[in-house]
Amino acid sequence: MHTPEEIQAVIDRYPCSQQYALAAMQDMQRQFGYLPREGLEALSKHLTCPFSQLYSMATFYKAFSLKPKGKHVIKLCDGTACHIRGGSVLLEGVERELGIRPGETTPDGLFTLQLVNCLGSCAIAPVILIDGTFYGRMTLEKLPGVLDSYREEAAAE
Amino acid sequence: MKQTILVCCDTGCLANGARAVADALEREVSAAGADCQVQRTVKKTGCHGFCEEGPLVRIQPDDIAYYHVKETDAPDIVRGLIQGAPVQRLLYKDKTGASHPPRAAHPFYNKQKKIALRNVGEIDPHSLEDYLARGGYEALKKALSMTPDEILTEMETSGLRGRGGAGFPTGRKWRSAAGYDVFPKYVVCNGDEGDPGAFMDRSILEGDPHSVLEGMAICALAIGAKEGYLYIRDEYDMAVHAVGNAIRQAEEAGFLGENMLGSGKPFKLRVVRGGGAFVCGESTALMASVEGRVGEPRAKYIRSVQRGLWDHPTVLNNVETWANVPVIITGGGAAFAKLGTKSSAGTKVFSLVGKVKNTGLVEVPMGCTLRELIFDIGGGVANGRPFKAVQTGGPSGGCIPESMLDLSVDFDTLTKYGAMMGSGGMIVMDDTSCMVEVARYYVNFLSEESCGKCTPCREGLRQMLHLLTDICEGRGQEGDVELLERLGHTLQDSSLCALGKSAPNPVLTTIRYFRDEYDAHIREHRCPAGVCRKLTSFRIDAGKCVGCSACVRACPTGAIAGALKQPHEIDQSKCIVCGSCRTACKFGAVTVAGGTKQ
Amino acid sequence: MKITIDRKPCDCEKGEYLLTVAERNGIHIPTLCHHAALGEQGCCRVCIVEVEENGRKRIVTSCVYPVSRECSVETDSEKVREQRGIILELLRKRAPDSPEIAALCEAYHAPKLDRLRALDSGKCILCGLCVQACGRLGSGAINTMLRGTEKLVGTPYNEASPDCVGCASCAEVCPTGHIVVTETADARTIWGKTFELVKCARCGAVLDTPEALAHAAKRAGQDVPVLCETCRRLKMTDEMAQTFGLSI
Repeated sequence: MHTPEEIQAVIDRYPCSQQYALAAMQDMQRQFGYLPREGLEALSKHLTCPFSQLYSMATFYKAFSLKPKGKHVIKLCDGTACHIRGGSVLLEGVERELGIRPGETTPDGLFTLQLVNCLGSCAIAPVILIDGTFYGRMTLEKLPGVLDSYREEAAAE
Repeated sequence: MKQTILVCCDTGCLANGARAVADALEREVSAAGADCQVQRTVKKTGCHGFCEEGPLVRIQPDDIAYYHVKETDAPDIVRGLIQGAPVQRLLYKDKTGASHPPRAAHPFYNKQKKIALRNVGEIDPHSLEDYLARGGYEALKKALSMTPDEILTEMETSGLRGRGGAGFPTGRKWRSAAGYDVFPKYVVCNGDEGDPGAFMDRSILEGDPHSVLEGMAICALAIGAKEGYLYIRDEYDMAVHAVGNAIRQAEEAGFLGENMLGSGKPFKLRVVRGGGAFVCGESTALMASVEGRVGEPRAKYIRSVQRGLWDHPTVLNNVETWANVPVIITGGGAAFAKLGTKSSAGTKVFSLVGKVKNTGLVEVPMGCTLRELIFDIGGGVANGRPFKAVQTGGPSGGCIPESMLDLSVDFDTLTKYGAMMGSGGMIVMDDTSCMVEVARYYVNFLSEESCGKCTPCREGLRQMLHLLTDICEGRGQEGDVELLERLGHTLQDSSLCALGKSAPNPVLTTIRYFRDEYDAHIREHRCPAGVCRKLTSFRIDAGKCVGCSACVRACPTGAIAGALKQPHEIDQSKCIVCGSCRTACKFGAVTVAGGTKQ
Repeated sequence: MKITIDRKPCDCEKGEYLLTVAERNGIHIPTLCHHAALGEQGCCRVCIVEVEENGRKRIVTSCVYPVSRECSVETDSEKVREQRGIILELLRKRAPDSPEIAALCEAYHAPKLDRLRALDSGKCILCGLCVQACGRLGSGAINTMLRGTEKLVGTPYNEASPDCVGCASCAEVCPTGHIVVTETADARTIWGKTFELVKCARCGAVLDTPEALAHAAKRAGQDVPVLCETCRRLKMTDEMAQTFGLSI
């Protein structure tokens, strides 16, 4: 969650110049897990730029989400190397395991699934990135175990 | 005496436990105690290149290369250092079983020449001292004593061409920008490496960030710029941190900032983090993004060197291009021009990935052939399967068949055949890759990444995707291939930017070189590679099956049954045609036939 | 300097756009995203022509292509005809309900490519003119969102925008009438928002929405008008007559 003060603190890091729009939005996304409407409104005032322009950027760039994300973000690489090393079969496996499709969050709010383009780790394809951890040479067999480790951690909390 | 243990801590090796290896080595080194004769250090470096065989450790100055290193190997490695005897089991062994310590002994390394990657894997990228010890910032010092014209002439003589894919002569670009009497001017680094399968730029930004900063500072002197930006894609977290850290260090040491080495000339650099858009690799879209707008390109009839960032003269170059600049200034343009070929000077970094034995990051002189790259350096196709095609240039490039393997890799040769060298992504495909599906994959990628501003790209890709999906799912019609070509040619000529103009390349090259696959999909409802599910069925050849049950274990739906050592059978009603059985079978007993399900 | 367009010699200045030179010489080139008052876009690609310079031929969009050297331009070469036709047909699949696009397809002999898939409905061709107009004349209430094949124009969150002043500049410049404005004697509804309409204090003609009037006045640094153009002029002449003791 975010307060107006928290939002303002992020925005005040930047001078009132359009060139900082992307950076300010990046910071908000990182800190709040999404771009709150009030955040974009406050930024629009700070930069004196139309709100619709920031909204346009928010929906144009894949880094941004207008809805809050799950606790753990699963990024499944759909780069060419991963793709030809079984990426789509892996995706189906993840979809089956979690019951959601790319862009969606599990009902318990634990996982958000994203299909991303090339994480640059092609030599260990296919790759899944969960939060900051890379899982290379992923297989359907290894998948449940990896997901369970996050589920167990959440259950323990 | 100094002994340095270089541990590759690039993403690939990290995912395989390199951090634990590095930590264990550090523990062993300090446990061994201080030695007044020998200074032993462990360095966490950038990519060593041989990602397939990681985690990788290298010992200098003896040049001992260790492969597949585990945490538990650490005591033996340090003991080997102290006793002066390499750890045999971790060394490269040739076909006769003889082991060879030096890295250059491995066929993966011995044809490479590291220029852009000269420091990657040799230094701790977070250490300015390491960079300086290898001649870092000497080029900048020299450039500060040169006139702008002298710097430009050196760059022109070198013959360096942009490494981002377009191959525009770098010296000429800088000279153009220098010629405009409009200020301020800008220097920009394109670190938006978006080609799937490419990680050349990431390795340089993470493994040797100062080389890029130094290159940009030299350009600033040549054109009269005081400000620069490094646009790094959002997904490259480590690169963003490495570069930000390097800028801080360089400013503190006086190489950058208000006053470069007391010259009175300022040069300030800032990192701009991308927002997650492949199109921002296009130079005008990148600049729009830096300006705080959506990443939509503009017509390039007026070049960015004249009107770029905020409509001012801007030199934008790729990461690898920048990394080459200090070498040209220190060694001279003429020496650089001796490497490579006449029209493509220097070396090129490639990410060799896909169905190849030796996956990794390599740098070779231009003019190396595809065959040398894939078979000599790459070790050939993985799992002994037949070679089918190599995809170069990412989504802007083309698929090259076996008949073209002896072509030289440079800026111009491949272009003659409808393909392109591109930024360096090189994806090897075997007989289990369907070229129609590969075309569909790229068109799908581009249709999502298209900014959507111009009609041909936005609408053309949408339609091409429908057609290719139809073909892959058994709804292809006679005339579809011709329609794809017609649409493709319109996109090539009439799109607004290079994304749209090059988008048809994977489709057009696969049609040109793999037409029979398209025809099989459309006319026979059959995917020869056994990839397109609706056009494929798998069967087990009882004559070849030895009943080892490897396929049973691999099958995600339990569709295969059979007693041990007896021929197995696939229950077609349960089979989801994923191909795991074919991959698992070591006896080639899984055969591919056309689609059976309607 | 001199260039030739369709074999006709045309005088022009260096840096002028080909489209301007052509129009001045009576040569018509179709456009959709071009509007003299709204800046360069070059995105519909309908105005493409084939330019030969330095022995090289290439396709360029005439609306933003600056003349830099002697060249010969063809507005209807085989390549231009083929590609413009395909572009128009692609637009017809995007905007199947637009008679304007269908008419252009007829006029330029666009191929009928029934194998291509049309959207279910719609008239928007994503030319971007509405966004430009809103930005320059309005309050920047609408913009494009998403990208690629999903790109569309609208208000943030698809809700009535607090920034929209109801000036309807967007609808005025839209080449296909995609933007719906419903107007009664007293109200105007656009982009899901309903506005009052201010009438001329003298004759009762519709001026604009109060928000649009205020926005324009603020931009021009003037007072909010209460009279329509005609009545304002009449008032001015009345005042002048009184000042100079004339009778009208």
